[in-house]
Amino acid sequence: MKTVVPITLALLLVSGCDNPPSQPKPVIGVAFETLQTPGWVFAFEVLESEIVERKLEMMEAIADGDSNRQFDQVRNMIARKVIGIVIAPKDAKAVIPMLKAANEAGIPIVCYNRPPEKTDTRYCAVVADNYGITRGTVKYMAEVARKSGKKHKAMILIGDLSDLNAIGRRDGFEDEVKEYPDAIEVVARVPTDWNQEKALAGVTSALQAHPDLSFIFTSSDFMLASIASALKSAGKWKKIGEEGHVILGAFDGDETAYEMLVDGYLDADGVQDLRFESEAAVRAVLDMREGKPVPERILDPGFVIHQGNLKEMTPRMWGAHVHARKK
Amino acid sequence: MRGSRALLRRLLASDHAVLLFAAAYFLALWSITPGLGSSENLRNIFTSMLPLLVLAVGQTFVLITGGIDLSVTAAIPLASVVGGSIMAGDVGLLGGSAFAVPVAVGAMLAVGAGIGLVNGTIIACTRMPAFIVTLTTQMFLGGLAVWYANWYAGRVDFHDLPVGFRAIAQGRIFPAVPTALVAVTLLAMAAHITLARTVLGRWLHAVGGNAKAAAICGVPVRTTVIAAYIASGLCAAAASILYTGRLETASASHGQRVLLDVIAAAVMGGTSLFGGRGSVRGTLFGVLFITILDNTLSFRGLSNFSVLMVKGVVILAAAVLDAARARLAERSI
Amino acid sequence: MDAILEFHGITKSFFGVPVLEDLTLSVGEGRVLGIVGENGAGKSTLMNIIGGIFPPDGGRMRLSSEPYAPADPMEAARRGVAFIHQELNLFPNLSVAENLCLAGFPRVSALPWIDRRALRRRAEDLLARVELEIPPETLVEDLSQGERQLLEVAKALGHRARLIIFDEPTTSLTAREAETLFAMIERLRADGISMIYISHNLGDVVRLCDDIAVLRDGELVGTGAARGYSVDALVALMVGRRIEEIYPKRTSAPSREPVLEARGLSQRGVIEGIGLELHRGELLGIFGLMGSGRTELARILFGIDPCARGEVRIGGRSLSPRTPGESVRHGIAYVPESRRDEGLLMEAPVDENIALVSLRRFTRALPGLLSRRRLEEGVRSAGMRLGIRGARGGRQAVKTLSGGNQQKVVLARWLLERPSVFLLDEPTRGIDVGARHEIYRILDGLAAEGAGILFISSEIEELLGMCDRILVMRRGEIVEEVRREAFERERILRAALG
Repeated sequence: MKTVVPITLALLLVSGCDNPPSQPKPVIGVAFETLQTPGWVFAFEVLESEIVERKLEMMEAIADGDSNRQFDQVRNMIARKVIGIVIAPKDAKAVIPMLKAANEAGIPIVCYNRPPEKTDTRYCAVVADNYGITRGTVKYMAEVARKSGKKHKAMILIGDLSDLNAIGRRDGFEDEVKEYPDAIEVVARVPTDWNQEKALAGVTSALQAHPDLSFIFTSSDFMLASIASALKSAGKWKKIGEEGHVILGAFDGDETAYEMLVDGYLDADGVQDLRFESEAAVRAVLDMREGKPVPERILDPGFVIHQGNLKEMTPRMWGAHVHARKK
Repeated sequence: MRGSRALLRRLLASDHAVLLFAAAYFLALWSITPGLGSSENLRNIFTSMLPLLVLAVGQTFVLITGGIDLSVTAAIPLASVVGGSIMAGDVGLLGGSAFAVPVAVGAMLAVGAGIGLVNGTIIACTRMPAFIVTLTTQMFLGGLAVWYANWYAGRVDFHDLPVGFRAIAQGRIFPAVPTALVAVTLLAMAAHITLARTVLGRWLHAVGGNAKAAAICGVPVRTTVIAAYIASGLCAAAASILYTGRLETASASHGQRVLLDVIAAAVMGGTSLFGGRGSVRGTLFGVLFITILDNTLSFRGLSNFSVLMVKGVVILAAAVLDAARARLAERSI
Repeated sequence: MDAILEFHGITKSFFGVPVLEDLTLSVGEGRVLGIVGENGAGKSTLMNIIGGIFPPDGGRMRLSSEPYAPADPMEAARRGVAFIHQELNLFPNLSVAENLCLAGFPRVSALPWIDRRALRRRAEDLLARVELEIPPETLVEDLSQGERQLLEVAKALGHRARLIIFDEPTTSLTAREAETLFAMIERLRADGISMIYISHNLGDVVRLCDDIAVLRDGELVGTGAARGYSVDALVALMVGRRIEEIYPKRTSAPSREPVLEARGLSQRGVIEGIGLELHRGELLGIFGLMGSGRTELARILFGIDPCARGEVRIGGRSLSPRTPGESVRHGIAYVPESRRDEGLLMEAPVDENIALVSLRRFTRALPGLLSRRRLEEGVRSAGMRLGIRGARGGRQAVKTLSGGNQQKVVLARWLLERPSVFLLDEPTRGIDVGARHEIYRILDGLAAEGAGILFISSEIEELLGMCDRILVMRRGEIVEEVRREAFERERILRAALG
């Protein structure tokens, strides 16, 4: 008796009856690595509204930094027979088996904001032009530096080196700075692995080693708080126009950057147009479903917002929207 | 009314309580979630259950002796990068060679066994509690994994793994039977036989039940404890093979959050945290339950945070039920 | 004579099994009532009812002529009934004073701060009443068992107890401490406090108590003034039949062939220069008070504890290194003093406990793979040989067995090894008369088969009754050796006490 019951149950389960087809509404699966920064949250919300607007349903999954869990979540979506998947992967290589699985099931899949490594699978990646946007941002900053007539000691905070986006931004910085050897000398390159504590520690040590540091670029806005904290401790947190202002540039377009721009601490910010990316991702999924040709890469040109064009660019900056919503 | 109360009590008190609970839960959710019962989803459940089962079986050995192995979350990434450094097509020691896969697999298993040997020896020969020892080895090995990957190839993961290796985790023997399922089933059966039918199994239970009494009866306590941790380490390495093969990446960040699931599964399956009690069958049921829970909730589209909250509540309820069950069993003597 | 506590027709059943049947008894005021009975006779159940742990199914109780039906132990305490358990309820990490006043610390006016001086004074008062001369700040963990026992009495007095129940109070006491306790009981009686005294030590009961009640299978089978009872009569009532003698006749004589020898065993602070010779078929007793080094000697002989100097030989060969595993391999068996702590896997089933030493004998096809059938056969034959009762098919957890049967389980596990030497440390502690008799017979049987048995005990009677020779230990040394022909109680006691 004791063994018969569980065996019967097991057999019942394994035989598994497939369910009646046609669910109430077609579903698009959205699998994000994390919702830990406001950027991801904003992107997620736009995706959701785009999906809902098109009278579709969204199935969400957050992997919390675990590739294996993300894979399980993708497979669940496939089993649920979603009509498309938008995935923001944790790891550019680990996502490839997930792309393969989607291909095998005939489900269109779009990589959001982070492209996968080279692979033969069918997919579309919506990515920001990290390189180009960064060059534009650093160019504005470098012009400011040149106009001041002095030579500036510079520092860059680099992101997680396994993230292609971080590499693109770093390359953009290095290549642009090379054009201004008269005005800029790079003395510190801080690897942060996208970690706040490492950022704070790195900036603090750099400031100690080079107290006259006056040019800082950070690969992501979320580290601005650490930079502000370190500069305040060193007495160097000055607005534009004040004596001792450190030329500051960042990347992303979040709320903190917006506030710092308005308050006059931040010189320039490279903005990923997350709204554009989210809309493009959803459209790509639906296009792929209908069999329309879709390019492997959709580039978000983004833009640079700086003290010069603040008023006209504000409406396009997603961080400004988040800020306005809070009011 | 009397009869059904007695039946309920017998059901609760049976060893299969967890399995019945899992089945009832699954059926309930199936009725409101179409697709849950599809053969595809069921296959998903069984394949995603495998690494957790392997880890939980290893942990069962250790829990039976009254210990605990917290270092598995670091053993997995360490074994993974060691394997990757040997077989990765681009930078591996034996990259491209026909021996790459067997040597890498052997090395991964050796890493797991080695970690187990270190843990077991320290715990058996000093009086330090297993919790502290394996916590410190976990910290050390986790850092070691990242350092090793960086030192060997300047990055934290290895790609381009040979097809033969990937086939372990992803391949199939017959069209419907994944290789991994067969391998894990064999491992589980070997573990079951060891625990239930061998002298070593009795020794493990004795050491967990009363180490002093066991020593007096001539049981080699130290050797037994070391064996338990080696088993756990080997299982961690096996799980690492599965994770690495599945994601086609050898990484120092694999398997970092599985620990609580592993222990919850073992405990729900009837393994006591105080030692002396436990079985592979019970652990299997516990793993099944947790996997079904995970799967059904994320299938319904719940975000990860909600899944964690629900899991917490359900596991708590299961633990309370288990305590009630133990009290019932005691009273009926 | 007034009764302080009376029960009429008390009955109690558990799961349909009657445990107490129609018990009617009274405790005279200012008198000591001794209650004796085998394990399972119902003594604990009766005490639990008196102490308020659970209510009776039927019958009434009266305390000082008032109806008495405590809802919980606290109410029982409030009504003046104090229960001193076998496992004392003290907190070793707290001080004497704190333990005494735990239920109600004296406060500084109405604030939640302890008035330390009042605490000290109250403690000193109570300690004086039991003539315990220790500073109230002493931590309980630093007290001896005897001092702790007296502390419990002081606690009871602090709660203004009028009826004190002692449950097996002398099990962990040295002879001297027991005497101190008895003197205390005399004083309490003189103060008009009533007492119930439960013990397996029938000699003490006859000596101390005014009245005795004998329970057997939940019924009162004898009650009356202690004067009218002898130990033999009590035994007969408890067991229900005449035991010819408490100690069975020995059926064999020891040989001259030594099976275990020790020479010059010394470990600083523990034992000094121990040398002994155990012969085949011999029951060699070791008597000594607590702290004389008896248990330590057994542990050293078996190889659990290290020994700096000296040698142990088994069957003529020197045993080295000395570990439990080696000892087992050479045919030595060890039964530890505390079966709960070191002897048994309490949660595990009986047959697992019995099989533990001899596991390797039950393998068949492959080394390491157990044959279920062989194991069950082996376990069953051992169990039957010793007459273990209460184990349904051997799958029951060993903690559900009575003390006597538990001890038989400990012995059974060695039978399959056919050891040539048994080292037994207090093998009959906490076991009732009937079970003890069986164990003595088993030991005699083992000796008759040629094993040498080292019998350590603090009960001189059983050594006198069973052994061929007795060695007396004091302060880590063997101070006297007495052969059976020359057995004399006083001589041995004097040697042990010095």
